[in-house]
Amino acid sequence: MSFFLIMKAVEESGLSVWIRDSPSIFAYWFILSFHALGMGMAVGASVVIDFRILGVARDLPLSPLKGLYRIIWAGFWIQVVSGLLLLIAYPTKALTNPDFYIKLVLIGVAIAVMKMIQKRVFSDSSLTEPAMMLQGRSLAVWSLVLWLGVVTAGRLLAYTFTFINYSG
Amino acid sequence: MYSAHYHLLLNHLPIIGTIIGLGLFLVSLSANKDDLKQASLGVFSFIALLAIPAYMSGNAAQEFFRPTPEVSVDLIQTHQGAALLALVFMEITGAFALIGLWQFSRAGKESDAGRPAGWIVAAVLLFSIVTFILMAITGNTGGEIRHPEVIAGNEAPSSVGATGARFVQIVQYYVVEYSNWIWPILEDLHFIGLILILGAIGVLNLRILGFLKQLPVAPLHRFIPWGIAGVFINVITGILFFIGMPPFYADNPDFQLKMVAIVIAGTNLLLFYCTSAFRPLARLGPGDDAPLSAKFIAASSLLLWIAIVFLGRYIPSFEVYHH
Repeated sequence: MSFFLIMKAVEESGLSVWIRDSPSIFAYWFILSFHALGMGMAVGASVVIDFRILGVARDLPLSPLKGLYRIIWAGFWIQVVSGLLLLIAYPTKALTNPDFYIKLVLIGVAIAVMKMIQKRVFSDSSLTEPAMMLQGRSLAVWSLVLWLGVVTAGRLLAYTFTFINYSG
Repeated sequence: MYSAHYHLLLNHLPIIGTIIGLGLFLVSLSANKDDLKQASLGVFSFIALLAIPAYMSGNAAQEFFRPTPEVSVDLIQTHQGAALLALVFMEITGAFALIGLWQFSRAGKESDAGRPAGWIVAAVLLFSIVTFILMAITGNTGGEIRHPEVIAGNEAPSSVGATGARFVQIVQYYVVEYSNWIWPILEDLHFIGLILILGAIGVLNLRILGFLKQLPVAPLHRFIPWGIAGVFINVITGILFFIGMPPFYADNPDFQLKMVAIVIAGTNLLLFYCTSAFRPLARLGPGDDAPLSAKFIAASSLLLWIAIVFLGRYIPSFEVYHH
């Protein structure tokens, strides 16, 4: 089973051991903190956009909110880097848990929905605000549901794993 | 300084604060003075923040007295029960007060802008009166722990405190034992609260700092109640975690620092974004630069909430090193 041998090799690598076992405050918990911050940025900024499309803070002009996509992408890349480091620390724990794959799929779809909102709502400068809101309405609802799914699936990773590492 | 000392330092503030807040509030209602009303709502919100560490430091004090035979466990549990009920009602009062305060700071177009809604005022009045009664019982039962001489011969222990003590046990049972799913669900809610706080308060802070400058500030202020909702969700779920496993948190230095940071960040939110101090900022239109003082406040708010996220994530690590 080469899959398990790869996980074993990753777990025995210096980086993996360091993240897991180092007493340094910049190891595991530091990465985990960044993973929470990246979530707050990507999801928080998405939620602000979704809420505005759905009618919260109606007096707020909608089109300048596209600047929030920079926060979403900054948060997204923080998640990719910190998430990969956490995966290197505990590959067996994540990859043997179906919830981990559910989370990845949900992230993919949630990001795709945010890109669709960007394209349909923010790219066409000829749209009036009511038209923008109408265009984005169902996408905004989907975005909220999907991000809720991502956060829930992520949170459940800490409670649903079967193996913590290769040796059990 | 033992953690138990924090309880002595903090425990009178929610009681005195509730009395001051309620007194001011009643005067403001009868004299119809908006500035007094604003001040009393501010007191309630601030005391709701301070009540959190005041309650939690009680567990450290309890540990301190555990080996002392002359201190009655029954009296401590009665006190804790009353304190939890007082805390819950204080937090609800604080949440309504903060929303009312936020409505004061609004500079909208409608004629009712800048004044709290009637139902908010009614809710604050109702909940603050209940809180006041519960705080009085908490103080009374707390005093009896170290001063049993004040207990009259055959006086029964407080029935409210006993009900509260039962409530503590029920909450503990449901949070920890009833199902393995309750704790993860509460954690999930705690993260959703985090997202609401960072999203709603973060976007306003970023605008004040000069990012997203094309946005006018006043309508962004409309997101603040969502941030307040996030704070409320997290205070309630946080209290549930604490009641579920007090030893995990009470003496954890990281957790204690997080509570301090929450009091400071909450005060920042209350003073600068939920009072008339916000009104000059609300005039900033698209492209306008905020004054340096406002930028300083926005930066400190942003950094504090991020620090709170970090401190929260580090809590289990300090537990690991503790043992």
